Amino acid sequence: MPDTANILQLESLQVHFPIQGGLFDRVLGRPAGAVRAVDGIDLSVGRGEIVALVGESGSGKTTVGRVITKLAQPTGGKMLFEGRDMTSVQRASALRPYRHRVQMIFQDAYQALNPRHTIFDIVAEPLRSLRLVDNRKQLADRVSEALASAGLNPPGDFFARFPHELSGGQRQRVVIAGALAVKPELIVADEPVSMLDVSIRAQILQVLVDLRHKHNMALLFITHDLPLAWLIADRIAVLYLGKLVEIGSADEITFQPRHPYTVALLNATPQMGGDAGRAEVPALQGEVPSAARVPKGCRFHPRCPLAFDRCRQEEPPPIEVGPKHLAACWLAN
Amino acid sequence: MSESIIRYSGRQARAIKTFLGRFLGYGGAQVGLVCLAFFIVVAAVPDILVGPLQTAINATGEFLAPPSSQHVLGTDEVGRDVLNLVVHGARISLTIALLATVISLVVGTTIGMTAGYYGGVVDVWLMRFTDFFFVMPSFVLALVITPVVVEVIGRGQEILGFRPSLFVILVVIGMTSWAFVARIVRSQTLSLKERTFIDRARVVGSSNFSIMVRHILPNLVPQIAANGALVVAGAIFVETSLSFLGLGDPLQPSWGTLLSLAQRAGAASAGAWWYLGAPGACVLTVSLSFVLIGNALDDTFNPRRRVIP
Ligand SMILES: Nc1ncnc2c1ncn2[C@@H]1O[C@H](COP(=O)(O)OP(=O)(O)OP(=O)(O)O)[C@@H](O)[C@H]1O
Ligand code: SF4
Ligand SMILES: [Mg+2]
Repeated sequence: MPDTANILQLESLQVHFPIQGGLFDRVLGRPAGAVRAVDGIDLSVGRGEIVALVGESGSGKTTVGRVITKLAQPTGGKMLFEGRDMTSVQRASALRPYRHRVQMIFQDAYQALNPRHTIFDIVAEPLRSLRLVDNRKQLADRVSEALASAGLNPPGDFFARFPHELSGGQRQRVVIAGALAVKPELIVADEPVSMLDVSIRAQILQVLVDLRHKHNMALLFITHDLPLAWLIADRIAVLYLGKLVEIGSADEITFQPRHPYTVALLNATPQMGGDAGRAEVPALQGEVPSAARVPKGCRFHPRCPLAFDRCRQEEPPPIEVGPKHLAACWLAN
Repeated sequence: MSESIIRYSGRQARAIKTFLGRFLGYGGAQVGLVCLAFFIVVAAVPDILVGPLQTAINATGEFLAPPSSQHVLGTDEVGRDVLNLVVHGARISLTIALLATVISLVVGTTIGMTAGYYGGVVDVWLMRFTDFFFVMPSFVLALVITPVVVEVIGRGQEILGFRPSLFVILVVIGMTSWAFVARIVRSQTLSLKERTFIDRARVVGSSNFSIMVRHILPNLVPQIAANGALVVAGAIFVETSLSFLGLGDPLQPSWGTLLSLAQRAGAASAGAWWYLGAPGACVLTVSLSFVLIGNALDDTFNPRRRVIP
């Protein structure tokens, strides 16, 4: 059972990337502006909870993941881990305990593994750098254990191999094993199966879901695939252009979506489309606008089939539409 | 454990074998390696091949005699055997070039990698520093350093077996050639540090130092090796020109010093082609071998993308 206490809490988290203005802009004194990749997000992850962060390409999912894993520095807001403010902690030594408890799984496992390191060294790297083992025997045991929990059996067969000698699914398992090796409390998984063959996806997802059952590990599962999110997550947060438009339990988001964007996303997926009890909304039109030019008012209004005057002027706040179910739309209540 | 260690070394051996197979497949690499092996043997045992270095005192031949059965490469203006001089010169020239290259690779890699990895202010200042050395003419630097070194260690003394003027040449070549290495290493580091495996290394808690040493450096080896060979070729040329300009040491003559002596003895106008030709041909052959090896290494590491500066 998921614990109610939050392990991770994001409060109005904001990541803006400055745009280098051209010479012309600078001469005219025009402000260069910023890419508002993440534009004020409130999100929490409970102990042992699986939260899916869903959004189209460019919505800022990876950027959120990079902030949580301290690969990117937020420009505003706060990040709390077990109630401790981690936003401005940056020194490697101060981060070590945090790294021990928060790990990441990358989308492209081939890119995430150093081609010149063996599988043993790759999985041993966190144990060595975080000084979690005392001797070679312990190290070998922990590496074996991690490879086995990631489904690479027998582990010894993989020790001496190089990443290019493995299949795509095995490589992703190695990345997972590396994250598991330190026994973290939270794993950020950034589209962990989107590069894999459909036939292997289920096995990798099973490994991730098992972690929660065995070790009560929390998971922030980043994906663009809403049905997949429903399959694996307890709660779903829908991200659009750097802002959460709807958040709630997986079932509510999937079967009683209240935000037109969520509805459109669901309609766009054949196996979930046409459910009863959902507002009639035509399929999504057009591209996601650039995060460098976020529309005024509701950021979804240029693509929203239900948009009206107020949407073009005022940004809707998150409105409670059910227990722990928020939607940021003027029509939500 | 031991079983996997054995297999590990087996794999390494196999990787090295494939690499050598491809590398030796290039004609340029074969020619370069054969020439180089020849000169290394010559430089290793000059006394066995041609006896001790001849001086004006123990010279035996005629003055500026053309090649004959006794003096295969003729003699110089004081009657020394040119073959003897050239063989002994090989040791000096190669040692200086290789040591200068080591200095240049160590300094260039350290500075280039640090600048590229940390970026920002560190990068700006380190690259300004690098550009300063990049445009510095080696001759001017040698002129500035020579009196300092001579003053500090005293005339006639030796540093690490080198007489002061040779030590100056060594340092000057090292100082003027690392900037080239630093620039290449920096640009390669800039692209390497964007790779996802560096992000992963940070997430799993690796320190900056260990990321540089364990992740970036091994991936720089191809660039460093290929360019290192080119740096040696350049070092031989610079050594030759500095010595030719008179910065060498007549008591430890390199090929450049011999060219300089030949020039001053009027070898060209006297028609003593052997005196200028022998060291000149050696310089050209050795530099060319290193260029060939460097290009072959580059081709082996990146078969498609071929960039020769
Ligand atoms: N380092 C950066 N500098 C400038 N802009 C950036 C940077 N990283 C991301 N962005 C921009 O921020 C926005 C969000 O990017 P992000 O990678 O977080 O999206 P995403 O939801 O993960 O998309 P995808 O599904 O394609 O991976 C994009 O517009 C992207 O161009
Ligand atoms: S606030 Fe308006 S534009 Fe935005 S989603 Fe709701 S209806 Fe559409
Ligand atoms: Mg992404």
